[in-house]
Amino acid sequence: MREELLWVEKYRPKKIADVIGNEEAKAAFVEWLKNKCHTKKAILLYGPPGVGKTTLVNSAGNEFGFRVIEMNASDTRSEKAINAVAGPATSFIALDTFSTESKGNILFMDEVDGIAGNEDRGGVSAIVRIVEESRIPVIMAANDPDLQKLRPLKKVAALVRFHQVRIPLIIAMLQKICQKEHIRTEFEALEHIAENSRGDVRSAINDLQSLAETSKTLTLQDTVVLSARNKDISMDETLRSYFSAESLLEAAMMLSRSSVDYDDLLMAVGDNLPLRYTDPADLAEAYDFVSQADMYRGRIGVENWHLLKYFFNSLSEAAAVSPESYKPFTFISPPIRVITLFWTKGKRAMLEAICSKIGKKCHVSRATAKQDVIPFLKLALANQKTASTVSWLELQPDEVDFLTRMNKL
Amino acid sequence: MAADEDGVMWVEKYRPKTLNEVVDLKDIVESLKSFMRNPKTMPHLLLAGIPGTGKTTVALCIARELFGQNWKTFTLELNASDERGIDTVRDRVKDFSRYSRAAFGSVPFALIILDESDQMTGAAQTALRRIMETSSRTSRFILICNQSGKIIEPIQSRCAIFRFSKLDRKAMIHQLCCIAKKENVTLAPEAAERIVDYAEGDLRHAINALQTASAYKDGVVDEKTVSLVVGEASPIQVQLMIRKALKGDFIEARKMMYDLMGSFGFSGSEIVRQMQRELFKMSTLTPEQKADLSNIIGEYDYRLTQGANSDIQLSALLAQFAKVGKAQGESS
Repeated sequence: MREELLWVEKYRPKKIADVIGNEEAKAAFVEWLKNKCHTKKAILLYGPPGVGKTTLVNSAGNEFGFRVIEMNASDTRSEKAINAVAGPATSFIALDTFSTESKGNILFMDEVDGIAGNEDRGGVSAIVRIVEESRIPVIMAANDPDLQKLRPLKKVAALVRFHQVRIPLIIAMLQKICQKEHIRTEFEALEHIAENSRGDVRSAINDLQSLAETSKTLTLQDTVVLSARNKDISMDETLRSYFSAESLLEAAMMLSRSSVDYDDLLMAVGDNLPLRYTDPADLAEAYDFVSQADMYRGRIGVENWHLLKYFFNSLSEAAAVSPESYKPFTFISPPIRVITLFWTKGKRAMLEAICSKIGKKCHVSRATAKQDVIPFLKLALANQKTASTVSWLELQPDEVDFLTRMNKL
Repeated sequence: MAADEDGVMWVEKYRPKTLNEVVDLKDIVESLKSFMRNPKTMPHLLLAGIPGTGKTTVALCIARELFGQNWKTFTLELNASDERGIDTVRDRVKDFSRYSRAAFGSVPFALIILDESDQMTGAAQTALRRIMETSSRTSRFILICNQSGKIIEPIQSRCAIFRFSKLDRKAMIHQLCCIAKKENVTLAPEAAERIVDYAEGDLRHAINALQTASAYKDGVVDEKTVSLVVGEASPIQVQLMIRKALKGDFIEARKMMYDLMGSFGFSGSEIVRQMQRELFKMSTLTPEQKADLSNIIGEYDYRLTQGANSDIQLSALLAQFAKVGKAQGESS
């Protein structure tokens, strides 16, 4: 039974101090909790998923002895429903305080941006009214606080912003779990999981569990499937119907229906294009469209999602360059990009640091060092006659190790 | 001292320390020496020329001749391609000229060496010009660049310009042989030729190649070893990738692109820049073909800045090359 426990639950922090990252937000939240005469009775915690908003509220409840009355998106949140649950909770504060050991109640409304217009009619204004009338603290959590309909909430609540949790913190967390679960692992593997999570601790822990729970070992190679994990069968399906589409429209339809991650899709199309088009002219034309799609992806960034339709249009064009030449073929997946996976931000920074040292000694720029000196240095390292050069350049053991590994790529 | 010098890379170990040691640059050295005799007369200098021809060496020699042992105290070495913006340059120059104001003997100024100054944008250069003006009482600049044309006119007009031309084969071979002799390395004549072929007038490349090759077999550098070393070094790889793409072998070219990214750690834009440089060295292409291909590279250089995935953009670029290569194959 114990084995079936989700690690996100098993290792969910019980104390505020154990919630990783977002120190500023945590401090602001605790300050708000402690402050009995709130300037604002409610607080809205907002930020990306999986960074610890809910965990923070629950651990604060634990630590301060509040009872957390929780409502989330899975409950219907029309005015009536909210009043039915929250109404009594907010007004019977005194009685509750005396009857239990609890110091009081907190009303916690999770995922308030999940309140839908129709089913939850009047939901937002009901929350506002509860906040205004309530005698107990009201905590709300949301991913996207800019939604038009939440605007009334922003007026009555203090806002605390959560950010993505920094990668090193996630790595440390994963290391701790690995230790407790007796999992042998490569550091790079954890690094990749953490980076892949984009600051989402919950998904990082879930990924770790899915990859390592049964085998008890984890290598970087194992984690390569990660970026393709959400795709499951649908990536192959998407590619198949995308490449065999007989018209632009059909390809576009396929793409818009697919649930595959956009970035994975872009990479997979790029990888498979040369198998689809054997004529160089066709290939060049198709790649040109993929390149345009990639530019739209760049412009979309994290916020301009209204450009997504252009991304899909360009990508669809790439499938429709010469429909008559289509022959079924076996897709390459997961992405070829494995090599470039090695080049994480940390590794690039390390290379830059090495180049900087060389630059100082040899009076060249980092760029020149990377281009003209590193290739020779790597070769020389392979011949192991460089101990003195290494010490002259003041390279650290980990930097030498890094250059040697670069050699083997 | 000998023990300390043990690990020094040869490019540094054999870098001339005085202008007298700088051979093959007689004209330049002579005019510079006249400045050294009366440092007050020394203007700002602009040293221009292709890489590995001695520009930085000459600048460092000047610093040593002016300030002797303590040259580092009175010299600020900056590299424009390393500093993030003109503000950093401004701040560092300002700080430096402030504390180094105490003049050194007969030299009434401190020296600022700004390497790769053609990497600066026009706007940054305009700001630099202001800096040169405001600090001219306390500092002299030595600007180093590959192409003087990329330096704005107002700066050029404030500098004495020295042009460094490509080192000739004889001089390079001579240098390599001298170093080999001092290092007790037997350098086969054809191996020296091969190194010089590869280095294309860049002495730094040549010396690096020699040092790496000498580590393979004890004390003997033959042509085979040189080929091996040179084949692994990056510019050759970039050329090979271009060739493969132009032959229409897209898949192989893309493999090499991933190799460049993976084992050399080059970013997309670095590879594009190298492609541009290597393209013009390729003797198998006509000037028109080079111009066309260069246009394509330019387009994708821009797209890289807009896009999200550099490997997609580079693949697309290689696909364009394969298309051009095929069309040319059919027409010829």
